[in-house]
Amino acid sequence: MMSKQMNGLLISDFNIENLAAYLKNDSGIPQVNCEVAPYGQVAQSLLDDSLPFWQTSLDFLVVWSRPEAVLESFAQALSGLAVEANKVRDEVDEYCRKLLLSKNRASVVFAPTWVVPTFHLGHGMLDLAAEVGVSRILMQANLRLLENLDGHSNVVPLNTGKWVELAGEKAFNPRLWYLGKVPFGNNLFKAAVRDFKAALRGIQGRARKLVILDLDETLWGGIVGDVGWQEIVLGGHDPEGEALVDFQRELQALTRRGIVLAIASKNEESIALEAIDKHPEMVLRKEDFAGWKINWKDKAQNIVELVAELNLGMDSAVFIDDNPAERARVREALPDVFVPEWPVDKRLYPHTLCSLDCFDKPAISVEDRQRQQMYATERRRTELKGKVGSLEEWLRTLDIVVKVEPLEISNLSRSAQLLNKTNQMNLSTRRMTEQDYMAWAGVETHRVWSFYVSDRFGDSGLTGILGIEVADGRAKIVDFVLSCRVMGRKVEEAMLHVAVDWARSSRIKEVLADYTATAKNKPCLDFFLKSGLKKHGENRFAWDSTQEYPLHPAVRLVQKTINT
Amino acid sequence: MQIEITREKILKMLYESINELNEQLGKDNQLAQSSQTKLLAPGTSLDSLGFVNLVALIEEKCQENFNLNLILSNSIGMPGDGDPFETIGTLANYIEQILIQRQESLS
Repeated sequence: MMSKQMNGLLISDFNIENLAAYLKNDSGIPQVNCEVAPYGQVAQSLLDDSLPFWQTSLDFLVVWSRPEAVLESFAQALSGLAVEANKVRDEVDEYCRKLLLSKNRASVVFAPTWVVPTFHLGHGMLDLAAEVGVSRILMQANLRLLENLDGHSNVVPLNTGKWVELAGEKAFNPRLWYLGKVPFGNNLFKAAVRDFKAALRGIQGRARKLVILDLDETLWGGIVGDVGWQEIVLGGHDPEGEALVDFQRELQALTRRGIVLAIASKNEESIALEAIDKHPEMVLRKEDFAGWKINWKDKAQNIVELVAELNLGMDSAVFIDDNPAERARVREALPDVFVPEWPVDKRLYPHTLCSLDCFDKPAISVEDRQRQQMYATERRRTELKGKVGSLEEWLRTLDIVVKVEPLEISNLSRSAQLLNKTNQMNLSTRRMTEQDYMAWAGVETHRVWSFYVSDRFGDSGLTGILGIEVADGRAKIVDFVLSCRVMGRKVEEAMLHVAVDWARSSRIKEVLADYTATAKNKPCLDFFLKSGLKKHGENRFAWDSTQEYPLHPAVRLVQKTINT
Repeated sequence: MQIEITREKILKMLYESINELNEQLGKDNQLAQSSQTKLLAPGTSLDSLGFVNLVALIEEKCQENFNLNLILSNSIGMPGDGDPFETIGTLANYIEQILIQRQESLS
């Protein structure tokens, strides 16, 4: 997987060079280059926009401070003085005002929460007491920090407390503090780098979306084909059985974050599905899986077919299997599929799953929460396709409704998410933050619309984006993005209809689309080749907008407000 | 029980420290696991923060491996025969001498 290098800036009131060094030298995707602002000058760096590092294009910014350095009241609490909660809140608000000045200076701003070295928390029963409890004041300050950052979608707080726990007793390093003003041990910085990198991958749209699971000895204990579903190890008063139920619960929790589950298992399909249906302690049932390949074929081949059926890319998939030989086979055959090492001890399954950082995303949309259900609906839709005769006949039975609305704050988050993660039906595959996309759409000669698709099986939600730029009297389609979930249902044609319709109402005579090839967007080229648009040269398509572009009769178009 | 202090054990500890430090250093600035590796000497690839990190790592590992507290930062720029921080080899000699003295004073 190729990824562009990301440029970052670190601002801190402590010596943060060690974090910069680990970020730069970490070989994981994305590669990072980062500068460090002058040490100890958090407020000055945030307030002075003439500083040289603000003149460069920044993909990310880290503002990491020590509470005793930026909150006077917290420093007082550390020295044993009583502090009023209001004063802490006011100082946090003031700090956040400065912090938020930087939100337009980088695509994403990370704000690690505040911690203090554990030796400060040794005040026993006073730790959580009102006005003097250091832990209590720290909690209040962090909560207020989070409240201030709520609603700023590109400002992401990260949990430093988690890094402290992961780094254990070496989280803080008094030697490094007194030698070089580095408060943290290197294990804490390494834990932080893992989270920063996972967050940056998520922001780049590289979070994994699909978990493909083995069944025997993975989702349950034992071989169902040998012992029958009644005898598999799952639940009950058994340490492994309980752990496997918890593992399934964690997998189900992932589906609520938009991760899709599927099965690749060497088994008799009827026997395996019977276990899923009938075992009383199964947490995951058939409807929790977007698809399955349960047969005796090569698992790598099954994964290829599953991923294709779900219209996802190999780099979306994670494969979990207890069998090291199967893991090695999939790693070797499908290097883009992430195959984590898996413990032999089933009691470690839930923990191992929760430790994976490949699912991190900056936000969870309504569509994310409903994705699993959408795939189940798609399966029923496909079943119907098999029952009706022609494609036209099938389309008519679907009652497709395409709703169009201009890009606005209410649909920005999902639109940007779609823009940044869609690979196949994507004309230009450009990636932009919410903020940058809104700014682009706000330019007078630009228009962006979001498309919602539903049919009689359900609502697929916001699944399309059309972005147009007017130049030289022609309307150029810059973004033509459609989720693979609704591809092939004439929504593509409906989007072109909207583009041409708008051009006609704006007296623009031609609509253009320049296709930029990537490793994954050939489906987009295939669509444009048969779209009826005239091909010019290698990658340009054009429509004479003195002519209407037809809307397929199976599609009902509902337009909110189309700005002309 | 006293832990035996040998130059080999100290070199092993120094090489472990170099390994950890190398995770922070760029490809071109990696320190070699060799007694000839220069630290505070002309031609060193170590910058001041790299040196600070190395000192902290060595002090920490000394405590873990020999159960003895070592404060190397006090010895930087100390007058005497040669600079203990010139190379990994000179540093190993210096640490061996200090740790043996410390052990003897405790026994």
